[in-house]
This record gives sequence, structure tokens and C-alpha cells, in this order.
Amino acid sequence: MTLLELLEGPLWIASASIFVVFAAFRLIVILFTGRREAEARPVGSPFLGALRTILGHFLPWRRLLGNGKAWFVTIAGYSFHIGLFVLLLFAAPHVEFIREKIVNLPWDPIPRWGFILSAQFAFAGLITLWVRRFVDPVVRLISRPDDHVAAGLTFIVMLTGCMALGEQSAFLRGLHLGLVELWLIYFPFSSLMHTFTWPFSRGFTGAMAGRRGTRA
Amino acid sequence: MTSDTTEKHRSFDKQRDLPDEVRVENAMAGFVAEFGPKAQSWMNACVRCGLCAEACHFYLATGEEKYTPIHKIKPFEDAYALTHGPFSWLHGLLGRKPKLTIEELEEWEELIYDSCNMCGRCTLACPMGIDIASLVKDARRGMYAAGLLPDRLARIVRNAEKQHSPFGSPEDFRKTIKEIEREYGIPLPLDKPKADVLMTLTPEALENRHFGVASMARVLHHLGLDWTFCSDAFEATNFGYLSGNMELQGALTVRLIDKAREIGASMLIVPECGHAWGATRWEAAKWYGAPVDDIRIRHIVEVLADAVEDGKLECRPVGESATFHDPCQQIRRGGLEEKPRILMRALGMELREMDPHGLDAFCCGGGGGVLANERAGPLRLKAFELKKRAVEETGADHFVTSCNICEMTLGRDIEATGFDKQIESLIDLIGANMITDQPPLKAPGRGAKPKGAGKRAAGAKKAGKGRSATRRKPAAKK
Amino acid sequence: MAINKRHSAVRLLWSLFLLAFLMAMPALTGNDSLLAQESSAARAEPGPPNTLGKRSDAEIWHDLRLGAGGIANPPTGSREAGAVINAEGWEWAKLRNPEKSPIVHYGAWGLLAILGLLVLFYLIRGPVGHGEDSGRRILRFRLSQRVVHWSIAFVFILMGLTGLSILFGRPFILPLIGKEAHSILLTAAMQAHNLFGPIFALFLLGLFVHFLRGNFPSLVDIKWLLKGGGFFGGHAPAGRYNLGEKAWFWTAVIAGGALSVTGFLMLFPDYLATRNTIHLSELIHAIAALVMIGFSLGHIYLGTIGTRGTLKGMVDGYVDENWARAHHDRWLEEELEKAESGDQARETAEEGA
Repeated sequence: MTLLELLEGPLWIASASIFVVFAAFRLIVILFTGRREAEARPVGSPFLGALRTILGHFLPWRRLLGNGKAWFVTIAGYSFHIGLFVLLLFAAPHVEFIREKIVNLPWDPIPRWGFILSAQFAFAGLITLWVRRFVDPVVRLISRPDDHVAAGLTFIVMLTGCMALGEQSAFLRGLHLGLVELWLIYFPFSSLMHTFTWPFSRGFTGAMAGRRGTRA
Repeated sequence: MTSDTTEKHRSFDKQRDLPDEVRVENAMAGFVAEFGPKAQSWMNACVRCGLCAEACHFYLATGEEKYTPIHKIKPFEDAYALTHGPFSWLHGLLGRKPKLTIEELEEWEELIYDSCNMCGRCTLACPMGIDIASLVKDARRGMYAAGLLPDRLARIVRNAEKQHSPFGSPEDFRKTIKEIEREYGIPLPLDKPKADVLMTLTPEALENRHFGVASMARVLHHLGLDWTFCSDAFEATNFGYLSGNMELQGALTVRLIDKAREIGASMLIVPECGHAWGATRWEAAKWYGAPVDDIRIRHIVEVLADAVEDGKLECRPVGESATFHDPCQQIRRGGLEEKPRILMRALGMELREMDPHGLDAFCCGGGGGVLANERAGPLRLKAFELKKRAVEETGADHFVTSCNICEMTLGRDIEATGFDKQIESLIDLIGANMITDQPPLKAPGRGAKPKGAGKRAAGAKKAGKGRSATRRKPAAKK
Repeated sequence: MAINKRHSAVRLLWSLFLLAFLMAMPALTGNDSLLAQESSAARAEPGPPNTLGKRSDAEIWHDLRLGAGGIANPPTGSREAGAVINAEGWEWAKLRNPEKSPIVHYGAWGLLAILGLLVLFYLIRGPVGHGEDSGRRILRFRLSQRVVHWSIAFVFILMGLTGLSILFGRPFILPLIGKEAHSILLTAAMQAHNLFGPIFALFLLGLFVHFLRGNFPSLVDIKWLLKGGGFFGGHAPAGRYNLGEKAWFWTAVIAGGALSVTGFLMLFPDYLATRNTIHLSELIHAIAALVMIGFSLGHIYLGTIGTRGTLKGMVDGYVDENWARAHHDRWLEEELEKAESGDQARETAEEGA
């Protein structure tokens, strides 16, 4: 068995399983353990409050519309996330891989120029956001090692993915896949879990505000 | 109490005689004691974007990165992942020890108690909607259990525990109520065995703001309510809530609600106070394990605003312009945004809103126990600059609020900075200007405190004139 | 370059000839010249042309270069539809030949020389200081400037490493790691290089906007130059940026701009360029890259170990007042004046806004 076969076979299965099992475990612990307190008689609807906050916080807070940092975080954040999701779900090699290994995606891959463009958005966003972790005193102070590891690992995964774009080399394909697997294993134990926790975090806050007849 | 601005800064206070290991252990146990899906979701969603700093008045006023809200709970956050997170067993297997140390806790005491009003402004700025104020409250529970809180706050907590209220004992209360009755010539129902409404008060009102108490009573009489004070359940403020003493918080809330049930009340009124509203209206359920449905917990501002809307309460128009300071626990976190504004309209005042106001308003800087914590004084004054600027920009004649803590804080900060505005109580204004058949309040006698707010309301015009004269001051100073 | 000159006359003749040929084409069928007859005969015949070997090599080349006679069939839509072979590519190939290219040759020596000089300077002069710290800080770079600087620095290093691999790979790396590994390295380098190129251009634009102020020439630059920039002792006066920094800024802007433009041409050759422009672009690209990388070595040296306290300015944004006095005295004066006149320059300059 070659290394690539190993990476595409058992190691892929193993890392994907770790990702699924532990991410699910962590979500279950977050959502179903600990104390559940009785809540006060509501004034407004907790459900609508949750919905409002979940949707509302996709945009910067109105008080920060004149704030350069908020705009930077918002634009760079969206640039990175949208670019990354397009790459993840629509890039031709990914569509092929997902169809082969997981599920038959109903959509067609994007053309090459689409890939290049999304990669640029993703990289530009990630690089500027990561650089800011070092030079903004506030963000530097609050950044944990985990935040840097997560950013670095994501960057390397994206970089090797782009390097393998020629699809000529098994080595480059293996390198990318190996790093993806490392990333998958790291994921459930890290702040990358925000991928799944954000609606709950926003939702609970929104529900609290809704219950109290205020907005968050 | 007046040494706010001169008190030398100390990095931390310690209470009780505990070995450091026990303090650390208690701290962590206290922090996670009430963790459930909510707090766990918040703890696992932060991506360190730093936008919370842009909302915090302490950061905005100082530019110091340590006041970034999420940083205020950092030691707890770090240790949480290792000891209580979903993978604590894995960290255990890997031999990774909890990171929380006594030095860290001591260092963080200032950030947790002095530089957070739990005003919840950062929650609005957070892309993830993390309610950092709630997490700071959890951290305070840990700090209280570790015996690491500002001494002054600890003293007030002890008073609240031992003598019923930071104000004093039931006996003190009875004496003061009688005194106010005499001063203002208004009957104050006390310890009625049965009543429909249980009215509560703040220590500040009992100490310094007797006119406010009389005003409130007069409105309640006017509305024809069957109400009473109870000398064994008069205290609305909850220093358990502010300090992180969970048992005390529960005991104080339960005392009020049990008393209301005992006298057969259908309504419990929370006075002009912010955190009392949060503790009583929004957190009482957790001590009973069910919503308190038999007793309506209402805020005095709410009661009055509803009376205005129902046509039961009218006021002589005061005229003039006014700006309203939004107490965060009533407005942003309390859902009463419209109520004080209804009252301002009823007073015929031209409302000039501050920028920011309403849900986005800056906190007075004294909430969350910060006012009680003298060493935070200098920092608080810096944050006050933001509020001051916002008030100045409105050019309003009156500066009104509906929370005793805000009023005290702003009053002291106004005094310390020589700002030419006075802070007025909305209830006092209503009390002084309501149209009623109730006998008028007696002019305050010798026993009255010089802070009588009635005088203030009457003298507002003068203050308004003085404003323009002194407004040039800041420019000249520069 | 002498080679070029010698050949340009030949090239001109060729061109004129081709032009005449091209213009004659439509009339060919009606012409009774030998060539015309042959061509029309060839066209009339089914199957591949010239199987009988009736045409000379020169004619075949001729046709290839122009796509005449249906021989050439490059992608339609291309700007050079019809041309299969470009004779001028020969010149380019010589300059680009990995083993003999003067660009590779002088480029490698040039970069090594710069590195050597820096090491030598460090050994002799050591880090430049500014005496004791004053303890008072002054804001030198806003947050947005710092973010832009390090973002482009990051991409520049990535572009530099991948680009140098492409330029120097064959002569220097291939012998070390062998053909297979080298081919992998190069395809990876090329993909990354192509991908990060536009990001570099975007960040360069940001760099230009954020650092333009203070980078225009001024009289004090001459004084600075006469004092040897303070590199060899003594104090050299400077404003917000000294002459060296200004030179670096404009080098980065011009060389970086050239890199971006030629890079784009090479990224989309079918749509933006002809073969000749591509050749030219590649040469300009390589030279501009070497210039920028060479200059960056000096910049990196001075920004890190070369001058004490400089790096802090680009990380925290603040520098010590004595640092500013030593290296940018005029700027410090201005800032202090501004601060005094109540403009709250020190400490409070709004971060990142």
C-alpha cells in the first residue's frame, strides 16, 4: 500500500471518524449537560428573539458602523469564510472526492476561474486576519495558542491544496490530504468548533433577550 | 464615600483565611457551578476577534487592551477547557494540569470586579452573540468562593447577610419609614398583614432620598393600590447578585417573593434600581425551579408608565428639554426601554436622546457593584467622560434617570468633574408634578437631607440657564 | 544585448517581407507566380499538405509563423491566431536559458553579494542604537498600516520563495534533489505563485495608499544622504521617512507594480498579451523581482537586527521617543508639536480607525 493509498483509505476514514465522533460528542456535552435553569415568565418570544439574534449578528452592530475595525473584521471575515466554503464544496477536485467518499453532491463544480477567485478571497481574508492577531494589541492579548494553530493549520491546508491544483503529482495530493486529515483531527478539540457553536451562542443570547422583551 | 478619586489603587483584596489551593479550587468550582447549555455554548464560540473591546466603555475611555471584555474572564476560560470542558478527561490522560493559579486570580480581581459593570453592551457587538456579562457573573461566583473580592464589596455583602440589608436591620427600617412619614406628612403603610402589593426599596433611597420614597408612596396612593412595606422584606438590592455570592442572591430573592406570598400579594414592585430588576424579575425562577407565576414582579417605572397609558396618571407639563440615561439592567437587559420614555412624555418634556441611547446606551459606570468598590473610582471617572460628552451634545436642560445606582454614580461623577448638570430621578419628577387629589407633601423639615430632589426639580430652570454659561468651560480648559 | 541589435535588422526585413506576403495573400489565387501555383495546388489537394516535398523548409517555416495555408491551428480567439512559431522567442529563450541566462547568473551573484554586505556591515557596525530608551512612546504606525505591511510582507515572502524556486530551480535545486522532486516542487511553486500573485497586487495597492504620506522627496533627504544616512556614525536628519526608506517605498511600488502588471499578463496570456509581450513580461518580471528581493534584504536587516527598536514600531505601532530622535528627528518634532497643540497625537491616535 502506497502512502497515498493509506491517506486515501484507512487514514481518511480514521480522521473523518474522529472529526465526526468528537465534534458530535462536544456538541452533545455543550447542549445537553450542565444545569438547566427555570426561566422567568417571558415578556416577548424567546424563539423570535433567538432568530433575530442569529440573523442580526451576521451584520456588524449598528453602533460599530463607523468603526474601521468592525468593517475590517466583517469584510475580511466574510471574504475568508465565503471563499473557503466555495472552495470546500464547489472546487472540482473536492466535488469529485466528496462524491467518491461521502455523498453524491447534486451540484456541478465551479470552473477553474471560480476556484482561483474564491481562493484569492479566502487567502486575502485569512492572511490579514491572522496578521492582525500579531499587531493589534487587543487581539494579540486575547489570542490563544489555539487561535494561531487553527489559523496556521487552515492556512497550510489551503496552501497545499492550491499547490496541488495542477493535479499532476501524487505527492502534492497526498500532502494536501494528509494535512486535511490532521486538520480534521484537530478540529473538534479547538476553537474551530465555532463552525457549529455560533448559532447556539447567538440563539441563547437572543432567546434571553426575547424573553425579557429586549433585543440583543 | 467621597474618596473615590483619591483612593490609592490596590491590586487586589483578600477575604477569609484559606489556603491558596482551596481558593483556586473554589474559584473553578464556583465558575462552572451554574454552567449549562447557555454558558457552554458561549464558552465554545469565541474566535477572538476583539470587537467586544469596541463596545466597552472602560476600553474606549482608556484604550488599554486589558479592558477587552472577553479578556476579563481569561484565567477561568483557560482552566475551563482543561478541567471542565468536554475533553477534560483527555487533558487528564495527557497529564495537562489546570492552569488556574492564585496569582492569576489575584491579578484578575480588578478586571472582574472593577472594570466590568455587567452592562452587556459587548454582547451586542459580539459577532457570536456571546453574553460576556453573564460569564463575568459566573467568574464572580468563582472569585467569591475563592475569597477574592474588593474589601468594600465584601463588607457590604456581610452587612446584607448579617443585618438583613446593607442599609440596616428591620428595626432601622421601621424607624426610617416613620421618619419619612413625619418629614413629608404622608402615611406609609408598614407591615400590613395582608396587602395586594409589596413595595420594596433601595438602601440609597432610605439613606439619602426620602423625597423619592415619599413621591413613590404618593403615586401608589393615587393609583389606589392596596400596598405595604414589610420590615422583614424591604431590601430590593441584591449584593449576592453583584458579588457572586450565589446563596445570598437566592436567599434575598426568595425572601421577597415568599413575603409577597405570605401577605397574599399579587404584585411585587421593584424600586428605581437596575440589578434588582434583573435579580428579581429575571432570575427569581431559578430559585424556585419554576417561573413565579402567582406574583407579578413589576418595576416601578413600568407600573407608572402603564398607569399613564391607562389614563390613571397625569402630570402637569414641566416643559423644557431633557435627556434620559438608560440604566442598562432596566433597558438593555431588562426590556423596559419604552417605559421611562412614556413617563417623560407624560411630564411634557422634550426628550433629546443621547448618542448612543436606548439599548445601545453607555452604562453609568457604577453598576455591577463597581460603585460600591471604591478603588474603581478613578477608572469609573474616565468612563464617565463618554457619558458626559453624550449629555453635553444633547444640550438638554434636564438629565434624568430611573435607577438609584445610576443616579448615585452619575451624581458623584458630576461632582468630581465639575460638570454643570444635575442628575434627576424620574420618579421624583413624577411625584412632584403629578395631578392628584392626594394631599401635597409637606415641605421637608429639619430632618430632611439637603439632597431633597423636589428642590432640584423646581430649580431645574436655573440649572438650564447655568448650562450655557458654563458650557464654554471645557473649551477654555483645553 | 548586442545580440539583439545584430538581429534587429534581420527581424525588420523579415517583418517587411511577411507584411508584403500577407497583403499579397488574398490575390494569390489569381497570381501566376510559382509560389501561388504551388500554394493553390497544395490547397486544392485533399490530405496533408506538401507530402510530396515540393516546398522548401524556408517556406514551411514561413507558413508556420503565420499560420498560412491552414497549417497552423492555434486556439481561436487568441491574439495571435494563426502563428505557431515566434522567431523572437529565440532571443528570449537565450536570456531565459536556465544554465546560461545572465539573469540567473547575475541575479544569484547579486543577491549573494547583498547578503554578504549585510553580514559584513553587521560584523563591523553592529546594530544601530539610539542610546537609552526615554520610556515615552509615540505612535509611528497605525493598526491598518501594520496590518497592510505584514500582510504584504507575508505574501511577498511566499511569492519570493516560490518565484526564486522557479527562476533558480533548474541550475541550483534540481542537482540537489533530483528531477522528480524538482518537478513536484516546481508545479507546487508555480501554482502557489500564480494564486498569490493577485493578492500581492491587492496588498500592494493597500501599501501604496497607507504609506504614501511622508514618502515624497524633501530637502532633508540630501542632508541625510550627505551624512551617509547615519550608518557610519553621526546623526542624519530625517522626516517621517528617511531617504533610504523612501527609496524602498518607491522601489517596492514601482518594482511591485511592474511585477503585478507583468504577472497579470502572464496569468492570462490568451486574453491580455501576445507572445512577444509575454517574453518581455517575463524578463521584466524576473529583473523587478530580483531588484525588489535584493532591496528587501536590506529592509529586513534594518527593520530587525540592524536597528534597535525599529521592529517594535511595526508590531506595536509605538516607538520610543529617543528612537525617533535618533532616526526621524524632524518627524518627532512635528508630532510633539501636534501633541502640544492639543491634537492628542501621542498615545491616543485612534487605533485602526
